[in-house]
Amino acid sequence: MIVYVILFLVVSDGLIQGEWLLYGLMALIVSTFYAILISQSRRRDMSIFKCIGWGNNDVMLIVVGEVLLVTLASFLVMLQISFEIVGIAGYFNADALFQGIRSLIVIDPASTLFLTFFMIMACQIPGLLIAWRRAVSVPPMKALREE
Amino acid sequence: MIQVQEVDKEYGHGKNTVAALKDINIEIMEGEFVAVVGPSGCGKSTLLHVMAGLEQPTSGRILVDAVDVTLISERDLPKVRAQKIGFVFQSFLLIEDLTAFENVQAVLWPSVDIPKEKQEEMTLEVLREVDMLERRDHFPRQMSGGEQQRIAIARALVNNPPILFCDEPTGNLDSKTGENIMKIIANLNRERNMTVVLVTHNEDLVKFAKRTLRMRDGVIK
Repeated sequence: MIVYVILFLVVSDGLIQGEWLLYGLMALIVSTFYAILISQSRRRDMSIFKCIGWGNNDVMLIVVGEVLLVTLASFLVMLQISFEIVGIAGYFNADALFQGIRSLIVIDPASTLFLTFFMIMACQIPGLLIAWRRAVSVPPMKALREE
Repeated sequence: MIQVQEVDKEYGHGKNTVAALKDINIEIMEGEFVAVVGPSGCGKSTLLHVMAGLEQPTSGRILVDAVDVTLISERDLPKVRAQKIGFVFQSFLLIEDLTAFENVQAVLWPSVDIPKEKQEEMTLEVLREVDMLERRDHFPRQMSGGEQQRIAIARALVNNPPILFCDEPTGNLDSKTGENIMKIIANLNRERNMTVVLVTHNEDLVKFAKRTLRMRDGVIK
């Protein structure tokens, strides 16, 4: 989740600077890598679920669910941090401090954050497709052979 | 009823082909408790996996409650497993990130026609049956081998399948715990009239079964 929070920060910062392609590519690579990582680390669980009668779609649902949940949770954490910083800066009337932190945490404009969120969500699609293929191909016997 | 007809199972290709099952013919009646006994590597686990549709045989037919599992598509096989078969494995095969309760309830999660409250009720009932109700919020790593196996049994029972396949269920347990686990399985056969197929290399477990099949080199003797 920390990786995703950092990804949100970096990509939204990049979008403000107008470097769409570079940061879009970065989001795509990280999202794809994460989806592969999840599907790899969950292979044992997926095969156990298949042993107990889960279909491919049911198994896929947990992989997609986990990836999307982490993305959403990271976004909310990021949003919360941004609000907290705005609040602290406002309370202490510390514009200078706020300006300094802004280079680390992007708050303004908020639309960039949401844009980043949708962009990262869209970047998950190739990774999710790979995860789907892996979920379908995991045989129920895998868990038994490995134990 | 389970019918295994002229089943062969081979692994590998060409010169490296290994015949795990050779012309197996078995008929197991409803409510029977059958033990398949044999030395390690004789093909008994393969037989169980093939009967359960976890692996496809190279040739032959397998009928589980009149359903030919060798003809069913990969897509429909999970439904058959979910409705008709419960599994208990040597290594328990519990999901480490789920509690005992969730591990058992997981079998029911894809069943959209069973409401959540009913699923919870069914889960609590089987946990009570295997005397693990108090451990329902524990994770597998917080439980002993015997307790994990009880959870695995509860998981196998929760959707009330007519058939229970047990693959060396006491293999990772000490003799006393193993005996207790076997008593639970024997009770299920008696009280629920479940068809139980037990695969083991342990001759001491044969006493729990009503019929024993001996296996050697992929052949039922």
